[in-house]
Order: sequence, then structure tokens, then C-alpha cells
Amino acid sequence: MDKGYIENGFIVDVSNANRTSEIIYELSRILDLPDAQCKKVCLKLGSVDLSATELTSIKALVESMNSEIEFINTSSNKTAQSAEELNIKVAVLENNVPTPEFDADQEKVNQELEKALDKIFGNENSEIKTFGQKKDIKELKEASLAAEDTINDSEEIKDETVNPESQMETVVVEEVKTDKNDVIEEAVQSTLFEETSEKSIYEKFNSELENANKIDGEDIKDIDYNLDDLRKSLRETEKLPTLYIQRTLRSGQSIKSEGNIVIIGDVNPGSEVIAKGDITVWGILGGIAHAGSDGNSYARIRALKMNAIQLRIGDTFARRPDSINIPYIQKTDTFVPEEASVRKKQIIIHKMHES
Amino acid sequence: MSGRVIVITSGKGGVGKTTTNANIGTALAKMGKKVVMIDTDLGLRNLDLLLGLENRIVYTIVDVVEERCKLKQALVKDKKNPNLCLLAAAQTRDKTAVTEEQLKEICEKLQKDFDFILVDCPAGIEQGFQNAVAGASEAIVVTTPEMSAVRDADRIIGLLEAKEEIKSYKLLLNRYRPNMVNANDMMSVDDVVEILSAELIGIIPEDTGIITSTNKGEPIVNDEKSLAGQAYNNVARRIIGEDVPFLNLEEPKGMVAKMKKFFSNLIGKEK
Repeated sequence: MDKGYIENGFIVDVSNANRTSEIIYELSRILDLPDAQCKKVCLKLGSVDLSATELTSIKALVESMNSEIEFINTSSNKTAQSAEELNIKVAVLENNVPTPEFDADQEKVNQELEKALDKIFGNENSEIKTFGQKKDIKELKEASLAAEDTINDSEEIKDETVNPESQMETVVVEEVKTDKNDVIEEAVQSTLFEETSEKSIYEKFNSELENANKIDGEDIKDIDYNLDDLRKSLRETEKLPTLYIQRTLRSGQSIKSEGNIVIIGDVNPGSEVIAKGDITVWGILGGIAHAGSDGNSYARIRALKMNAIQLRIGDTFARRPDSINIPYIQKTDTFVPEEASVRKKQIIIHKMHES
Repeated sequence: MSGRVIVITSGKGGVGKTTTNANIGTALAKMGKKVVMIDTDLGLRNLDLLLGLENRIVYTIVDVVEERCKLKQALVKDKKNPNLCLLAAAQTRDKTAVTEEQLKEICEKLQKDFDFILVDCPAGIEQGFQNAVAGASEAIVVTTPEMSAVRDADRIIGLLEAKEEIKSYKLLLNRYRPNMVNANDMMSVDDVVEILSAELIGIIPEDTGIITSTNKGEPIVNDEKSLAGQAYNNVARRIIGEDVPFLNLEEPKGMVAKMKKFFSNLIGKEK
């Protein structure tokens, strides 16, 4: 295969996707970011078999965002054939670094990595590669500088937009219940706290990179170890201590924790649970839950039945829609475990077996 | 603008203070007045439920007092009527979280922007009552035609009279059942007024619709067919100084009247 090189562009690695719909979903999510427009894209497609029609629609999607496909990378012969028909270049990356292999255990970490990449894709202008590749120190430093820039940027924006008078007016974010594929269409844009949530993440990201820079440049193994760490630090709630409560929280009761909270029992309306990490309720969540209370927007809230009056994750806020605003708790026999997380600065609830 | 601060109190619990507050507030707002309701029942708040605003509360009165937010940020606007605002109580704190001076200060600040400040008082005569009354200059004493409620209302009126700030107080008779009064099973309006010797501002009939409206989070004054809703509307009109006669709560008597009622129910046009 030819060797490809891209300038003013980035690599989109969807080689873990098994279906066309997943590829399209991932792509549209990434390309929707304002800084991802007008760029050249290298698409890593993995082993998925794509027909010419499917590839055309992917190409059209990329072009609709004002970007273009520079070349694709695939291990499937069928896809390569389709690409040939459409005059799309099939190539491997110039620096020819083996793609890291993630086994099943790492899949979760991998998802977080994807999220982290989203953040970076949205803000950096220079060429970006996946974290798994063995980069040299110079590249790392560049990435670090770029991250610093984004922090400064976001601070500036924050000063302009956060106006205490107008805050109450904008605290109106409809809770969005949706399937994964419909997220983009159905999600309601939140206007509040847009800039604040990102800052802390970048700070963490940045400090991790600084640590990596201190290590002697020739010892690549050590650096890779740190990159693994960085990947995990983005989901640092796993490291926090967990408070375990085995009773029902009643109206007026409030639980706060520096770490995660697990409640075996219901959380009745009028009570509140506030945690710096994740919140998991083995029962009906009917009160107010605030995960990532120190601003960690990667925190999550899970419950067997999600009936919360308000959900807050990091600095993002969602309230129960008025249409199902029932003051008393709904007891039920059917439980569909749901998880709330922040995506695109909005709280999204999805059924856990779909995640 | 200097708004009127009215405290709605009763002494006894469960006589309908919060329901009265929500309905009078909504009725006044519908007449175009700017109204803010303050829930001072810290730890046992309900006013937000009755208005269906529970899911909108981010900051409470305790957050205002402890300066975690500005007063304006803590005011929750009503879903339908932009003239109506709620300052919610904190659910996870107790009555000691707010002092009389702080409530007085909040009322004074709100007086500048609102025509009416309705303070929902907790049951009892302890700190919660003292706090609620602190900023008010007028009071509405809610009572039901039961001996225990009337006795407690008497006690409350005594306490209100002792307060210099309270310039006037009115009596509101809630959950009134004319047929029981006719059967001599319930104290009549005259009995209650005679015992308490206070000016009456309204009589609200017992209405099962109140329960539904509470569960829906929708004040009953929005339902124009409901007798209780009409009665609350009349109370609101009396508050702004209109002279409104009391509703005739008597059930129609005699065969013809009964038939009339039966048919009107059948057609769905209740008088």
C-alpha cells in the first residue's frame, strides 16, 4: 500500500466500529465540532466491509462538513475495492506506527480515549495522531503547548460569557432521553456553563503531559506508560474512594462524598446526593443527584430507574420535563437501568444495555 | 413601588396554608400583579409541589442568606405566569438556618420589585413562625370550622396582635361544608367569626378538586368551574380592595332544584 501523509488534517480512527451506522455516528460526532471543519481527514476503517454506496455516503457526510477525505486505511479487500471505484486513495500512515491493539478489557478505557480525542480534535489545529502511537518528545511538547493555548482561550471566552445576572434565565435544559444514534438530532443545546466544564479537564491533561516531558526522551517505554496513565486520568472517578450506603434516602436527607457513592435502596424526592465522583443507585432515583461536584464532567449517574427531579454532572444541569412532573414517586416492577453522562455539554440518559 | 408583605399562617397544621398561598398568589398574578411567594417552611417545603415547580429549583432561601447566590437568581418563575415567582425553602436544612432579620431584609429587597410578597408560614408558633412574621405587615389567618383549628387560630391572632409590625389581620375559613353546618354538625361561619372576632376575608368550600390539583401541581384557581377556585379568586380580589360578595355555598334545595342540578351535571355545565 502507498504511504499517506496529511497536512492540516487529522486521523479519525473508527477501526473498532463493526457497522456502518457506528462509523457514521462517530464521524458526524467528531466532524460536527467547529474546529474539525475545512480539514483533511484520514479515515481508519479497520476490517469493516463497505460497499461503494456506503463509502459514498460516508464521503458525502465528510464533505457536508466542509472537510474532505484525504485517504482511507482499511484491512478489508472489499472496502479497498470500493474505494478504488470512487477514486479514494487507500494508504497507510507515513510514520508507519503499528496501531495499538486493545483487548476486551481495555475497551472501556478505549471509549474514554475516544472522548478525550474528541476534546482535542475540537481545539487543536495541528496534525494529531492517536495516543497509542509512539510519539517522540517533540510532538508531545507541541501537543502540550497547544493544550495550554486552548486553556487560555477557554478562559477568555468564560470571562465574556458568564454573566451572573443571566444565569437563572438560562437554567432551562430539557432532559433528553434518547437512543445513541439519535443523540445529535434530539439533543437540546445547553447554553449555560459551556466553557467552565472543559477547563479542569484540560488542566489535568496538561499536567499529565508535563510529567511526561520531564522523563528522559530516549526512554520510550516510560513515556508510553504515562500515556496509559493519562488515558485513565480522564476517567479518574475509578480511583476515588466509594461510599456505600444500604438504606433508602428520604426527603430532606442529604449525602455528600469526596468520592463515589453507591446506594442500595431508593433515593426519594426531596433528598439529594452529591459526589465528586460517580453516583450509582440500586433502586429508584427520585431526588437530586450531582455527580462530579468539583467540575468533573466525566462523572456519571446510574440508577435502576431514573426518575430524578434534577441531574447535575460537573457544571451541567438537566431537569425532569414538566410532562412527567409527578410529585410522587412511581413504583414499578420493571426496571431499565439507565446511565446519565455528559456529551457535548448536555446531559444524555441512555439505557445501559445499549452503551 | 412598595409591595405589600402578607404572611399566611394558621398555627395548626393541615388547614390549608400552603394551598391558600399558592392559589391567592396565582389569582393575584392572573390579575396582572407582580407576586412573589416565599416558602419559609424549611425542611418541609411543599409550595413548590403545589405550583409544579419542584424540578426548577436550583437555589433556595438558605443559599440567598448564606450568599451562595443573588436573590434574583433564586427566584423561580412560574411555568405559565411570568408575574409569579417563588423563593423556595431548603429541604435539607432546618428552621434555624434563617433568622428573623435575614427574612426581614429579603422582604424589604423584594418590596421594591413586587406588588405582593406572600409568605408561607410553617405550622406551630416556634422559630419558623417568628421568622415568617418578621417581615410582614399584614396577615391572613387560615382556619377550618373545627374546635382545634379555631383554638390555634385564636392563639395565633393573640401573637399577631402583640407584634407591632402587623398592621392588620384577616380570617380565612377553609374546608367549609354547608350541608354539615345545616345539620348542626359543623361550626357555622358566624360561630367562628364570633369566637375569633376577626374580619373575614373569604370562605373556601371543601372541594375534592384541591387534592387533584395538588397532585398535578396546578393551582385550582386555574380551573374556573371549581367553586373553591372561584372562592380563592374572590379572596384575591378582596385583597386588592374590591368589594366582592361572598359566594352562595348553599346546596340548592327542593325537588325542582335537585332535578336542575342533576341535569346540569349531566350536560356538564355546573352552576
